[in-house]
Amino acid sequence: MVKHPQKDAWEEKAKKELRERILDSIVWETPEGIRVNPLYTAEDLKRIDHADTLPGLPPYLRGPMATMYAGRPWTIRQYAGFSTARESNEFYRKSLAAGQAGLSIAFDLPTHRGYDSDHPRVAGDVGKAGVAVDSIEDMKILFDQIPLDRMSVSMTMNGAVLPILGGYIVAAEEQGVSRELLTGTIQNDILKEYLTRNTYIYPPQPSMRIVSDIMAYCSKEMPRFNTVSISGYHMMEAGADTVLQTAFTLADGLEYVRAALRAGMDIDAFAPRLSFFFGVGMSFFMNIAMLRAARLLWHRLMSVFNPKNPRSSMLRTHCQTSGWSLTEQDPYNNIIRTTLECMSAVLGGTQSLHTNSFDEAVGLPTDFSAHIARNTQLIVQEESKVCHAIDPLGGSYYVEMLTTMIVDEAQKIIDEIEEMGGMTKAIESGMPKMRIEEAAARKQARIDQGIEAIIGVNRYATDDKIDFEVREVPDYIRNEQVARLAELRKKRDNNEVERTLAELTRAAESGGNLLEATLPAVRARATVGEISNALEVVFGRFVATTLCISGVYASEYGDTTVIESLRKRAAQFMETEGRRPRILLTKMGQDGHDRGVKVVATAFADLGFDVDISPMFQTPEEAARMAVENDVHLVGVSSLAAGHKILVPDLIRRLNENGGEEIMVIVGGVIPPKDYQFLYDAGVVGIFGPGTSIIESANKVLNILENRH
Amino acid sequence: MTSQSPVQPPRPERTGKQAPARDSDYYVDGVLAADRLVLSKTITLMESSLPEHQEMALDVVERLLPHTGKAIRLGITGVPGGGKSTFIETLGIMLVERGHKVAVIAVDPSSKISGGSIMGDKTRMQFLSARENAFIRPAATGQTLGGVARKTRESMLACEAAGFDVVIVETVGVGQLETTVASMVDFFLVLMIPGAGDELQGIKRGILELADAIVINKADGDNLTKARLAQREYETALHLVNPRSPDWQPPVLTCSALEKTGIDEAWDVVLRHREKLGATGELEARRREQVFEWTWFLVDEGLREWFYKNAGTKALLPAIKKKIESGVITPTRAARELLETVITKK
Repeated sequence: MVKHPQKDAWEEKAKKELRERILDSIVWETPEGIRVNPLYTAEDLKRIDHADTLPGLPPYLRGPMATMYAGRPWTIRQYAGFSTARESNEFYRKSLAAGQAGLSIAFDLPTHRGYDSDHPRVAGDVGKAGVAVDSIEDMKILFDQIPLDRMSVSMTMNGAVLPILGGYIVAAEEQGVSRELLTGTIQNDILKEYLTRNTYIYPPQPSMRIVSDIMAYCSKEMPRFNTVSISGYHMMEAGADTVLQTAFTLADGLEYVRAALRAGMDIDAFAPRLSFFFGVGMSFFMNIAMLRAARLLWHRLMSVFNPKNPRSSMLRTHCQTSGWSLTEQDPYNNIIRTTLECMSAVLGGTQSLHTNSFDEAVGLPTDFSAHIARNTQLIVQEESKVCHAIDPLGGSYYVEMLTTMIVDEAQKIIDEIEEMGGMTKAIESGMPKMRIEEAAARKQARIDQGIEAIIGVNRYATDDKIDFEVREVPDYIRNEQVARLAELRKKRDNNEVERTLAELTRAAESGGNLLEATLPAVRARATVGEISNALEVVFGRFVATTLCISGVYASEYGDTTVIESLRKRAAQFMETEGRRPRILLTKMGQDGHDRGVKVVATAFADLGFDVDISPMFQTPEEAARMAVENDVHLVGVSSLAAGHKILVPDLIRRLNENGGEEIMVIVGGVIPPKDYQFLYDAGVVGIFGPGTSIIESANKVLNILENRH
Repeated sequence: MTSQSPVQPPRPERTGKQAPARDSDYYVDGVLAADRLVLSKTITLMESSLPEHQEMALDVVERLLPHTGKAIRLGITGVPGGGKSTFIETLGIMLVERGHKVAVIAVDPSSKISGGSIMGDKTRMQFLSARENAFIRPAATGQTLGGVARKTRESMLACEAAGFDVVIVETVGVGQLETTVASMVDFFLVLMIPGAGDELQGIKRGILELADAIVINKADGDNLTKARLAQREYETALHLVNPRSPDWQPPVLTCSALEKTGIDEAWDVVLRHREKLGATGELEARRREQVFEWTWFLVDEGLREWFYKNAGTKALLPAIKKKIESGVITPTRAARELLETVITKK
């Protein structure tokens, strides 16, 4: 390799500046395990064959469009959903007036999992993390006065994708808009649900059939609609680093392509309608490089299928800033974090973007915080003048090198997955989930140790109290939905509902396009729950197996004295009690975000606890029974979807009823500060918000156990 | 590193409740009344390492003993990832539906380094655990083989006394623990999965000698041929080991816990074994033998414990260790010197 002529002189100078430290000490080993030099030069670029390509042309490294933001800036697309269709509709119309260019709909968890609002399993979840939709009637209200022929609509839906996409099509129909005019995106990325977010309904194979049926239907009937949004975002939020996010997302994409090809479709009929969704975190240049690397890799991977249409191998993506990077402590810092992540996404060349609200670590966004989040993008877009240059970091020695390194590392993992027989097989083996959880445990250990800085949490923590308004979903929302459902069931032609649902079940059994078979049921006013159930009788409901890693947290946490002292206390507890502290970690309701609970489980076991993990989606009754039968000391509830005020008191009541009054309850996750007192009054003995280190929470749990009276 | 939340309101001075003291009547009466809560507390008592708890546990077991012995005791082991939980769940649900009451003691390994453990078995059997007539108790091995042997055995007896007529002990992996479990059950089932021709590599010959049946799980889809192949290999292998009973040649079966095929057949084998060895009196003999084995095991454990706690031994140990390290004495001599500290003193 050619060396920069002055490289030796630079090294000489650098060594002097570093005094006794060696030059190698400023080489950075990233969480991805990549060694990054502090300096790159033109000589490094000579090794890279894609360094001098152009935007809008293969391999699209520098952007899918030739003019990028100089021609048209990215779409500001804020994801939101509020309790009821009526409230959401008002919010959307307000946002559109305030400069937002597209809609992005968040549904509540019961809808995601195919349950109606009156289902007994979902009491704590209705209208919490998004809008509750039970039937076409709700969909019509959602899109009231929004011209669907001109408005691009993005819907985050994977589990109950058939009744929701069907509802959107029929809502347009009843607005007088024909479906070929519809533009937007449905997430419809079921594979990643098995990896991270767990909002699936059916097992992988029938779910993959639903995905390819939607691709087939839309390629004929809705040519302007993006049928799958292949998502890495949730992997990042679950702990994946940039390499894992890139590799697993693209491997998911490959799997959808193969499913469509197997279903007999032509590559150019569907591939141009595949879009992506990446998560952008705090590592500024790494995330820029990730987006560039992903575009290059997708082009490389798709070339194998010989598409004729260039759009087939062009990666277009939506991005969202990281929710995990937000903290409860010193919460206004989150505005700055989101701004940096926004810049990363923009410099990486995203097509659309959601910026998070600063209060998302404590609750659902308020009007005020959503306003700030949207303005963050508007300021970057309209004030900062970044839009004039196309791929402004193209040719930067550093960014080009990072891009190459991510390409190489991600390719290795993709090759590994290919060897296993593709992503469905890999998911069945548990490999991707374990890798992500391992990365999450390592990251947590680095944060807890202060190696990975989080200002206001593990460095420069402040005692100043900041009080701000937190949004709350009132309890009457569920009653409202339940009443509307009862009315709907009375008013509609129930014979027609039965008939169309039976038809759908038949299609599930014997073949036929499932989206097409869903539409008559939607028109007949069948509910989301009924439609999902008509398929469930054939497909079954998927139950995840819970695997857990061990040893990772302690080994990444270098300071053994801290670990040892906690282990000693756990052992000491055993000396006096006759057994180790035993804790049941559970997730109740339909909230499937299990990163937190998995990381706590593996870390607590590493610290000498006996840890029981409950299945996902427990009712308070089920969790209480498990706690009593396993005779644990404590139940740790992880709550990230605002169900805590209903689910936690219910759990405590049921523990008491079942003779488990000695069992203590602690809560972790996203809990608004003003709910703390409510939970303490209900009998909770400890609350751990986001940003609590595991060491600290283990310490507090041991205090609680040691101080029982 | 502090991360006390600035927005957190003052925490009320709450502490948890300490469990009240309970006498052995509480445990015995509750277990005999089939109270699940008390059964779970009884198992906790039996798991305890405190001498006073162990003393009470002994009393409780003695009083429960007359109410035990009627259950079918089934040990199930297999390699991690072999689908044990799915197998037990499918089998358990089938048995519950046939009117049985099924208890499962799922033993998970404790970390040697931290001492902690993660118990996820119940999670993997969530449909069985939701059944009224099923009771699943995940248990950590702890640090000593003697400990896990004692608590597993006593927990099993408690479940029987509470009216469970099928008690399944599940262990992970292939090792010493399995020998212990095999010596406390009527039927020891080894669960395997079809591999790529090297079926026998991962499994010790010892485990084959313990097996009353080998079941090859995951005989479904692409695996079917491989499963058949594995079946033949295990059959051949089993012919090379001495069977535990002259009247029972351990069969090799295939099943798919996922597709729920072959589970019936596996249970039929358990029943056939019971019938056959029951008729010859061997089953009774096996249980009697197990009681003796258990007694001797306890004597061994007791001796070992007594030996290591002996003051003279403790005092001599560091010096002996040094001598061994520097190679001044042979291990035989070292052992003799250590033993003499207890023998001569007497």
